[in-house]
Amino acid sequence: MNTPTLAPHESMELHEALNFKTLCLAKSKLMQGLVFDQELKALMQKDVILSTQQIAELQAFYARAPFQAPVPNSPTPITQ
Amino acid sequence: MNTDYLDPINSLNMPEMADMTFAMDFLIRAKEGVRNLSIALTETASPDVRALLRHHLMQGIALHQEITELMIRKKWFHPYELNEQYQLDQLSAKNTVMIGQMNLFPDDTSRKGMFDRTPDEHMGGHNA
Repeated sequence: MNTPTLAPHESMELHEALNFKTLCLAKSKLMQGLVFDQELKALMQKDVILSTQQIAELQAFYARAPFQAPVPNSPTPITQ
Repeated sequence: MNTDYLDPINSLNMPEMADMTFAMDFLIRAKEGVRNLSIALTETASPDVRALLRHHLMQGIALHQEITELMIRKKWFHPYELNEQYQLDQLSAKNTVMIGQMNLFPDDTSRKGMFDRTPDEHMGGHNA
């Protein structure tokens, strides 16, 4: 197999990196509706584009975590 | 201390102060991202994971630089004029504490009625 399973500690780093990026994306996107300065807004939009790309890259690697599981189609109710 | 959010004095320089706050949040996020990735890099062994994190680190450093330069140009950040920076720090802390003491959202903010179903219905809605 050319894509070996990641070690648990590497998986944890990717978990943290992915969640941090996801939160940053949400914040940069939402705050664009609040900023007055158009240059700051443009830089936040740049961050949205960059973060989206980085999230896709992180997701591809995170799929190799030892605890990976099939991801259900959204929207899924958060139950149990 | 002013706790009346309807007082027009609060709109004085409001856009600049708001932008400074948002920019500071953005800068701190970029900085935290750089630090987090540096730490993550020293915890990983797989060459391809390291390459990815390293690439993201470089992109993060570049973004941090862009935000810093913008903030310096807009006079929202004064890394060389520390007296200026001190005044900004104290003023934003003071203003934000003042906002923190205002009763901005006095009514029920659940807005659950706007949705066709509540995500936490099975747990008893807002009583969960």
